[in-house]
Amino acid sequence: MARSRFHEELEQLELKLLTMGELAAVAVRTAVDGLVERDDAKARAVIEGDDEIDALYVAIDHGMLTLLALQAPVASDLRLISTIMHANGHLERIADQGVNIAKLHEVTKHLPTSQTILGMIREMGDVAVDMIRCSMEAFRHRDVALCRQLDEMDDPLDRLNRHMHLEVAKLADDPKALDWGMHMNMVARALERVGDNCVDIGEQVGFLVTGEFREFTDASRTGVVADED
Amino acid sequence: MVTEGAHIRLDLSGTAHQEEATGPEEAVFQLRGVSVSYDGRPALRDVTLDIPRNRITAIIGPSGCGKSTLIRCLNRMNDLIPGAEVRGQVLYHGQDLYDPAVDPVEVRRHIGMVFQKPNPFPKSVFENVAFGLRVQGIRDDLEGRVERALRRAALWDEVKDKLKESGLALSGGQQQRLCIARAIAVEPDTILMDEPCSALDPIATQKIEDLMVELKETYSIVIVTHNMQQAARVSDRTAFLTAEVDEAGNRFGVLVEYDETEKIFTNPSDPRTEDYVTGRFG
Repeated sequence: MARSRFHEELEQLELKLLTMGELAAVAVRTAVDGLVERDDAKARAVIEGDDEIDALYVAIDHGMLTLLALQAPVASDLRLISTIMHANGHLERIADQGVNIAKLHEVTKHLPTSQTILGMIREMGDVAVDMIRCSMEAFRHRDVALCRQLDEMDDPLDRLNRHMHLEVAKLADDPKALDWGMHMNMVARALERVGDNCVDIGEQVGFLVTGEFREFTDASRTGVVADED
Repeated sequence: MVTEGAHIRLDLSGTAHQEEATGPEEAVFQLRGVSVSYDGRPALRDVTLDIPRNRITAIIGPSGCGKSTLIRCLNRMNDLIPGAEVRGQVLYHGQDLYDPAVDPVEVRRHIGMVFQKPNPFPKSVFENVAFGLRVQGIRDDLEGRVERALRRAALWDEVKDKLKESGLALSGGQQQRLCIARAIAVEPDTILMDEPCSALDPIATQKIEDLMVELKETYSIVIVTHNMQQAARVSDRTAFLTAEVDEAGNRFGVLVEYDETEKIFTNPSDPRTEDYVTGRFG
């Protein structure tokens, strides 16, 4: 078969992206667990594990650039490379959000907490991790229906993120709890970004399958204020 | 259409106005169910497509798919092959190229051709370009016409001081541009190129590709190429042909897909095109 080596290399990079997806999912899962359970070891593991993810990101990116330079890919090969490069960047950012959450644990671990807010963060973490894995399943199976599902899965993340500051405001009487709450607002924001990254990966997978790029949601038209009512 | 003796001259008057009326996608060629056979054996079957004016149209496909056969239909070069038979219709600006009354020499004046291997005549650079003009009996402003053709072919600066030297003394890339100058000196409206860069190095290839893009403002260009990246780089539309085998074991070409080049190389509609351009077959 012509160009078999090229296609083998492309398959290897596709497998590396799936590994990247799982590492990013584990990073977010562990970071949220570390924060909610106040487990220093989990937070440290996320921070220390980020070098491996960054190295994998660089390896995938380098591999893709090499294929672009040497193989002049076209059609579905070109779309696959474009999708992998975009998704690779998103997954690296997702893993970074895990690191951000782990670091926020480090700076808030001596402060009082709110069980309500912790519950919201746990719920957001569960959804975010599900979305990372769903985006990778959509990619693995070239499943456009699953891509669209990501858009719906993202709704609770947006909703919980928007309501987080209201819960934080309830801590206003206790300066230390409020300090913690302000940091939890940043955690919620990080998890909301993870959801957006996953939706973007889904859009890229849609492009890979159909050859036409469509944004599932238009962030510029999202009615934030109206939705809060 | 103006008749002259037994032949019908190709009448292109008014085509410039047609462009304004119908937009840039006016077809210079319209092929309708074109099939070609050699000694009764099919070589190309049932090709229907429109080739737009002032665009570069690439014909790609594996060996034996009928690419060269197809391009040779466009200026009746197949007439020169004994046993060749062309069926269907090839309309050129709406006129049937294969009407028995059409003069094939007249056809080739309007539709120039550049071949795979540069084939300058064993004459001076000047005489190579002036050759077609002399054949047509054009005598006035011969030097000006030759210079303009060489300039359009991006060769003037390299040969202006050696117009009397043999065309065969030029490099391969220069020889090919000399052949292009020779083709455009007689002011055709279409240039056919059959693998024009396959014998050239990358730098000479780059010059020819740049030249093609410049020339399409004035001419319609059809190029057969084995180099898919060349088709992707220079052409506006791409036709993909593949070879099929009939029950009798005859191998012949068919048109699989014809679309904007960007579409062919990013999201082709037919899986056979996809397999070919991605290198999974061919």
